[in-house]
Amino acid sequence: MSEISAEREAGAAEIDRLLERVKEGDREAFVTITKLYQRKVFVLVYSILRDREDALDVVQETFLRLHQKAGLYRPGSPFQGWLLQMAKNISIDHYRKHRKKRLEWETAKPLEEIPLAAGPSREGDSAAADLRQAFARSVEALAERQKMVFVMRHYSELQFNEISEAMKISIGTAKSLHFKAVQNLRKRLAPVLGIEP
Amino acid sequence: MDKHKDMPPERRAEPDAIERLLRETEAVRSEIREAAASVDWDALSGLIADRAMAADRERRRAGAAPRRAAWLAALRMRPVLAGLAAGLVLGAAVMYFVLRAPGGGAGRDEGYHASGEFLDRAELEMARRNAVDYLEKSQYMLREVFESPDEGPAAPAALRSERARSLLQKKRYLNSQLERFQMAKAKAICDQIEMLFRELAQIDDDLPAAELGRIRDYIEERQLLLKINLVKKELQSGV
Repeated sequence: MSEISAEREAGAAEIDRLLERVKEGDREAFVTITKLYQRKVFVLVYSILRDREDALDVVQETFLRLHQKAGLYRPGSPFQGWLLQMAKNISIDHYRKHRKKRLEWETAKPLEEIPLAAGPSREGDSAAADLRQAFARSVEALAERQKMVFVMRHYSELQFNEISEAMKISIGTAKSLHFKAVQNLRKRLAPVLGIEP
Repeated sequence: MDKHKDMPPERRAEPDAIERLLRETEAVRSEIREAAASVDWDALSGLIADRAMAADRERRRAGAAPRRAAWLAALRMRPVLAGLAAGLVLGAAVMYFVLRAPGGGAGRDEGYHASGEFLDRAELEMARRNAVDYLEKSQYMLREVFESPDEGPAAPAALRSERARSLLQKKRYLNSQLERFQMAKAKAICDQIEMLFRELAQIDDDLPAAELGRIRDYIEERQLLLKINLVKKELQSGV
């Protein structure tokens, strides 16, 4: 059974039953739930951390915490939102713990020194690398909730309803935060993109 | 998305910028897909499950540890508690027997001291009363013998002699008390009376008138009856 088909077939009731078995110590039920959601969790965590090994650590930590706190899950409530919220929180904790180390690794080159819009005279690789670096740093610079909505929407490709569940906010708030995130990115990247701020 | 390519260059900048932004997000998504493709998901889920089960066992052991520790602490404390209880019982028993034994314990000494003082006072009081009693009986006997010289002794000679011997015995018993409590006046008068009683005790027959006269003179000369009254009053007043 593929992960996608398994996810489709496992409805909310099936998840509730699996979680009940997990609470009773059923290893196979836990493996089933892990297989159903581990990829989705990885995508979200990688979107936030942008590091494969860190992402794998956080994925493991997320499912370990799920196993430990399975008794806290309320049957009938959106399980995926609960799980992704857990993953997001662990990712943010992990990111904060390792932020200093990451900053040391990152280039100290200020945004203003990055060449402006990739003009026709410039070779594509260098311009693309500069834009990518500027883009990554601009996303990093977003307010936390805007950043999370933007990452979930564009990197993890979650729908707004899924984002609202994972962040415990309304769909309208999720859309509003996404709009502000895009506006701020555009504003910050205007010099790089060659547009008016 | 391609509509903006037909726009004039000055109006094309904004859509181009958005397109480049979207390309960047697509690049990140591509990066994520590559990273996800390199993961062995079956192995990862198994690894996570193994770690979860191990952590669960560890939590249960950690949860059981305090309970075990409490039991072990209780078991370790049992000899201590038993020793403490035994000590209390033993201590109570020792205190009981020590306090109960004659002459044992400091508290007992204090009680004995108080009792000694009381006994001293009691013995002194007894000595006074015995002395007063002796003097009264002596006074009565002397009066009986000598207050009616014209009518002769009121009591038969044998009875008089018997009373005299009885008073002499009491005097022997009284002597230690008088000396112990230093009742010098009482002892002096009692000694003088004793001499008379020795004579009377030895005389079983009726005394001749001359002999009675001589004894009367002796009593009057030494003012024995007066002295007896004075000493009695002193003893009775406790001076």
